[in-house]
Amino acid sequence: MSADDLLLTLLIGFLAISLLRGLGYRRLSEDPRFTTWLNRIDRVPYWSRVIAFLAAVALLAYINGDDYFTSVLVSVATYAMLGLGLNIVVGFAGLLDLGYAAFFAIGAYTSALLTTQAHWNFFTTVPLAVLFTGTAGAILGYPTLRLRSDYLAIVTLGFGEMTRVTFNNWDYAGGPNGILQIPFPEIPTFSLAGVSIGYTFQSQFDFLLVGLALLAVAMIFAQHLEHSRLGRGWIAIREDEFAAESVGVPSLRLKLYAYVMGGMWGGLAGAFFATRIGAIDPTSFTFLLSVNVLIVIVLGGTGSLPGVLLGALIVIGLPEVLRTFADQRLLIFGIGLLVIILRLALGIWPRIRRKPQPYYGLEIEEPAKVAAKILVEHQQQMVRRDARHAAAGHRVIEEGEAILEVQGVVQQFGGLRAVDNVTFDVKRGEIFSIIGPNGGGKTTLFNCITGVQKPKAGKILIDGRSVVGLRPHVIAGRGVGRTFQGIRLFKQMAVFENVMVGLYPRHRTMTWQALLHTPGERKDEIRTLEESRRWLGFVGMEHLAGRLATELSYADQRRVEIARALAAHPHLVLFDEPAAGMNPTEKLELDAIIRKIRGLGITVVLIEHDMSLVMRISDRIAVLDHGTLIALGVPADIQEDPAVIEAYLGREDEIPMPRAKGA
Amino acid sequence: MGPFLQYTVIGLTVGSFYALVALGYTIVYGIVRLINFAQGDLSTLGAFLGWTLLVTFGLQELPLPLALVIAFVIPMLGTAAVNLVILEIAYKPLFNKSLLAILISALACSLILSNGIEWIFGPRIEAYPPSLLPAEGMFLGTVHVTFVQIALVVVSLLLMGTLVAFVQGTTIGTAMRALAVDHDAARLMGINVNQVIRLAFVLGALLAAASGVMLGLYYVQIQFSNGFLLGLRAFTAAVLGGIGNIPGAMAGGMIIGLVESYTTGYLSGKWEDVIVFGVLITVLVIRPVGLFGERVAERM
Repeated sequence: MSADDLLLTLLIGFLAISLLRGLGYRRLSEDPRFTTWLNRIDRVPYWSRVIAFLAAVALLAYINGDDYFTSVLVSVATYAMLGLGLNIVVGFAGLLDLGYAAFFAIGAYTSALLTTQAHWNFFTTVPLAVLFTGTAGAILGYPTLRLRSDYLAIVTLGFGEMTRVTFNNWDYAGGPNGILQIPFPEIPTFSLAGVSIGYTFQSQFDFLLVGLALLAVAMIFAQHLEHSRLGRGWIAIREDEFAAESVGVPSLRLKLYAYVMGGMWGGLAGAFFATRIGAIDPTSFTFLLSVNVLIVIVLGGTGSLPGVLLGALIVIGLPEVLRTFADQRLLIFGIGLLVIILRLALGIWPRIRRKPQPYYGLEIEEPAKVAAKILVEHQQQMVRRDARHAAAGHRVIEEGEAILEVQGVVQQFGGLRAVDNVTFDVKRGEIFSIIGPNGGGKTTLFNCITGVQKPKAGKILIDGRSVVGLRPHVIAGRGVGRTFQGIRLFKQMAVFENVMVGLYPRHRTMTWQALLHTPGERKDEIRTLEESRRWLGFVGMEHLAGRLATELSYADQRRVEIARALAAHPHLVLFDEPAAGMNPTEKLELDAIIRKIRGLGITVVLIEHDMSLVMRISDRIAVLDHGTLIALGVPADIQEDPAVIEAYLGREDEIPMPRAKGA
Repeated sequence: MGPFLQYTVIGLTVGSFYALVALGYTIVYGIVRLINFAQGDLSTLGAFLGWTLLVTFGLQELPLPLALVIAFVIPMLGTAAVNLVILEIAYKPLFNKSLLAILISALACSLILSNGIEWIFGPRIEAYPPSLLPAEGMFLGTVHVTFVQIALVVVSLLLMGTLVAFVQGTTIGTAMRALAVDHDAARLMGINVNQVIRLAFVLGALLAAASGVMLGLYYVQIQFSNGFLLGLRAFTAAVLGGIGNIPGAMAGGMIIGLVESYTTGYLSGKWEDVIVFGVLITVLVIRPVGLFGERVAERM
């Protein structure tokens, strides 16, 4: 078969497979035979699948033997490496990057300069190229962390252009002419037991072998990252940065990691590109390259690793197949791209996050045992926490003492005082409700406590320590969980993954452990999975663990949010209108869940409009109206309090326009 | 002081082109939160349409004012029509899909437009009639200002002023501002959302095409790939001023024009990109929403 025909066959073949895959998921996703089969595949180690696939590619090139076909495959491998890196930034962390070519350039120049000027061996330049591009990622990332995505587009684009222009103007790196005569990769000659070993990679097939080896490393590491605590943190940030922060994910640090990691993959690809082409100049690293890599990942399906390979095959292969239309090649490519994106906005091989049996392979636990296990584990956690707390020289708050102290807190928006000099305590182990008409300042107060907003005045102490001015993830890490008034689950993640994100502050695995997938990290992952299952069991949601968060009913989403808030074993939880949108039966279940939470020894603070629920379960109630605290006491007193009745129903001598009781 | 003022004049002239294209980015972004990457290429399309009329169809033989009016109006209308087609085919189906999908769609449109222009008009550099406009100028002190420069800046300012008056003073302008804040609420108030979106695309294209013809008249030479750099500068300008903000886009355009001109004058043309983006990044680090942008509070 001629090279072009083979390329076209590959393209059509992979497209057909991806179509079948889509159909399979649509038709069979509820069929247990299909899902069990999928889970079995899942258990085959990823590295072995990658190596088998890439070996098959190498074998195909070897049998075909056509240099042109092989060189196209080498380009596909280069683009796939780039795509994997950009996928970390764009696909996982959701940060737009239009200047990815910069990392490619820095990697290529680092390796090229080291091999031509310092005469290093290619393979030893790779780690340095990766190190340099990682640093460049940090330099780009640091000033841009707080920018919104549309602004990121132009800043990253600018970074890409600045890098290219700098290389263009830099005489040591050859200026516009670039660097020529970059040596081939070689294994230096040495003798081992009398046999002399050494090899210079110089044919296209040799390059393909080197490229596939590097690609294998890039793929395996990328997969390890995706299925780690870090990867889940990234995806959570992409879905909802505020919610991620509030469950303890340090969003700024993770974004910086994403830039660094993304840059490293670009450096790997760049070094390989330099030695393979043999001569580089600034025109190889234009904006168009950044766009092409972005197209690779969006076409394949953002966030999907097999999608990157498929995207690279299309972006490189399609123009080659279209060579006969040389003049209008880019025009046709543009139209083709538009058609594909209009038809398949999610990409050709999208990452499917729902998982019918997420706990496949774990042993089944009795419901009674689950409750006991949670209790034991939570008590252990609490004891450990208190010990840590005491060791750090803080006073441990005993049952019945104030765990949350709000002292004279003021929050102001423009001229409106949303919270006006509010003072109260919440005691350890109690269920405390905050009620009041809409606009009373309840959610604003929650936002001040959890660090989303900084109060204009006043003190907030949790566990006897001030939390004013701390970032939300730090406060979450101190053992404060929360839910939101308008549910903020990570919509495109499965239910069990949502809860696993909630466990983020619990574990301390390092990034390198995640990259290498060390035994310690694996154990942590399994523990995380098991705990997510227990917490879902705790709120009665285990049977829906594999669904996407958006597929759930309103009440179920609220329960998942509660499980997510509990996952890290907090000792104080803040629930913002947990009963909103629930029917009477579901409210009774919620009632039981809240009591169970208190049974674990967790202090619960509620904002709630459902008076019967509030009166049933609260130990004490605070009433906020127009930002001021108008009453504080046990339920029976609050019900009789004239100020409270007036706030809700208005005074009798007023014009009869009762303020809305709230939704 | 001599060169400084001279660079300032050049900077303001170039800056007014950037400002016109930047306004197109900003209007469209303000309404649909979409970066229309085709904006720079729309300008090039306008330039080529004007060139076709003046050179190929011999409009340059007509009396100058008449020739100019036709050479501006027809390209502007033609480009607006093209932008509407782009909106309907490439953007509308993706409005509720992912942000990335629509971005890729915009990039594809840019690719299609610039390569389409190359296909239709050819890859060569074409030239506007060089002697169409008077080359004379006058000296303000030591600074030489051509009448063309003055005319171009005045026309740009007039176009921008009309736009501001339109957005601030008319009912449909109010509808545009309402839409920029909240689509659903605007729809519930009886605003025809689709029509306003179309209007934004028409306005963006009109400004882009006008800047294209002006660029052709000023620089004489045009090429199919011009749109990329122009779009890049204008996009930078829009973000610098705070994307979605109309005065911001104008100020941003002028600032970018000046920075570019000073860099070329005092340092070297080859550092232009580095300095321009350096300024942008510095501004964004200090003010993450751009010079005139407002911080958007997110409801928890």
